[in-house]
Amino acid sequence: MKKTLLIAALACAPTFAAAESFQEAFEMNRAMYGPDHVFTWNGNQYHTNHEEEMEARVKATKANAEDLLAKAMAKNKEVGELGFEWKLTKDILKDAQAAIDAGEYQKALDLAAQAKYHARIGIQQYHYAEKNWHLAVPQ
Amino acid sequence: MKIIKTLALGLTVAAATQMTHAADSGFDLKTVDPEADRMALQKYYKDRFPKAEISDYVNGIYAVDAASREQWVELEEFPPYEFDVEKGEELFNTPFANGKGYADCFENGGIGIRQNYPYWSKEEGTVKTLEQEINECREKNGEKKLRWGKGEIAQVSAYMAWTSRDKVFDIKVPEGDKDAMAAYLEGKKFFYTKRGQLNLSCANCHLQGSNVFIRADLPSPMLGHVTHFPVFRSKWGELGTLHRRYSGCHKDSRSKPLKPQHETFRNLEYFQTYMSNGLVVNGPGARK
Repeated sequence: MKKTLLIAALACAPTFAAAESFQEAFEMNRAMYGPDHVFTWNGNQYHTNHEEEMEARVKATKANAEDLLAKAMAKNKEVGELGFEWKLTKDILKDAQAAIDAGEYQKALDLAAQAKYHARIGIQQYHYAEKNWHLAVPQ
Repeated sequence: MKIIKTLALGLTVAAATQMTHAADSGFDLKTVDPEADRMALQKYYKDRFPKAEISDYVNGIYAVDAASREQWVELEEFPPYEFDVEKGEELFNTPFANGKGYADCFENGGIGIRQNYPYWSKEEGTVKTLEQEINECREKNGEKKLRWGKGEIAQVSAYMAWTSRDKVFDIKVPEGDKDAMAAYLEGKKFFYTKRGQLNLSCANCHLQGSNVFIRADLPSPMLGHVTHFPVFRSKWGELGTLHRRYSGCHKDSRSKPLKPQHETFRNLEYFQTYMSNGLVVNGPGARK
């Protein structure tokens, strides 16, 4: 009986005892608390902001807005070439350009950051799919 | 020693539990086997909906949901696609400006051939669909191409499907033709790949999600998906082609949708139709 329990425990161990990865910790805290929350992982403190949100926290000038928009467009081109572009991103990029034209640079920075985030996650999605698409196929 | 043996056995079981989730073949050109895929899909649905006959999957969600079927049977008393079939017949039989017609472009004069599409064209190195060849026929005879998603192309296609009703799909992926197998594999991969802002694959809704509510809608099973196209969709209020639906589904995952007749969609149609081999043509159909 003890032997059976030990085997069962070992069988389940990889599922339950795996350490929480940084990504998992980040996503859980982001989902629960949104941006600008600080959490501790492996003894260190981290914030829950996406890298693009940090990129948008620069002085709201035309040059900075244009720079982030250019980066977002390049990233979206990259994800488009992989076939994983999201539906709303193109319009967000257009809105960012319109905000620059209207002199609303903070709005433009925020929109460009959002578009760049879409593109970055689309690229992640592509790489995940390449490794894992087969897991859903009935055998 | 006993402890070591127990530990070793336990670790083996532990490794096995991690591996059983991962499928082991059929995902590259060396191992892909369309017939094994088709049988596995049928088994999946037999296990999932034991009461549904495989042959009834041509009726989509109505094969597995009794309440939806009841409404659909009533709808079919006066099929909403009836006028489109008549219009399609008229278009099909109207000669082009050069005096030729659709019948001159297709085998058997275009009658009773829907079940042969899509097919792999070795000469062109690509998958050919019925709608694609309808437009190629027009261009070859000096006519303008029709729009892919709806209207006349769907009506001509509907008439051709109508003349093919009850004929059995028998799509071939020619053995030893690596390009054909690659096209099939790409279609398969597209079906099972998550994409878009909602991170959804076709399979999420139409395999695992078959007959599971998404808000008020019940997604149809993927088996038999292609047999009833083109369809008159109540949501559209008109007839539409399979690729129009593909674009819509693609958009629903919040992906930037591909255009109808894009190579990727043609490969998807190739894969999906192969999965429906053995089922009959029952297009055009009526859906919600």
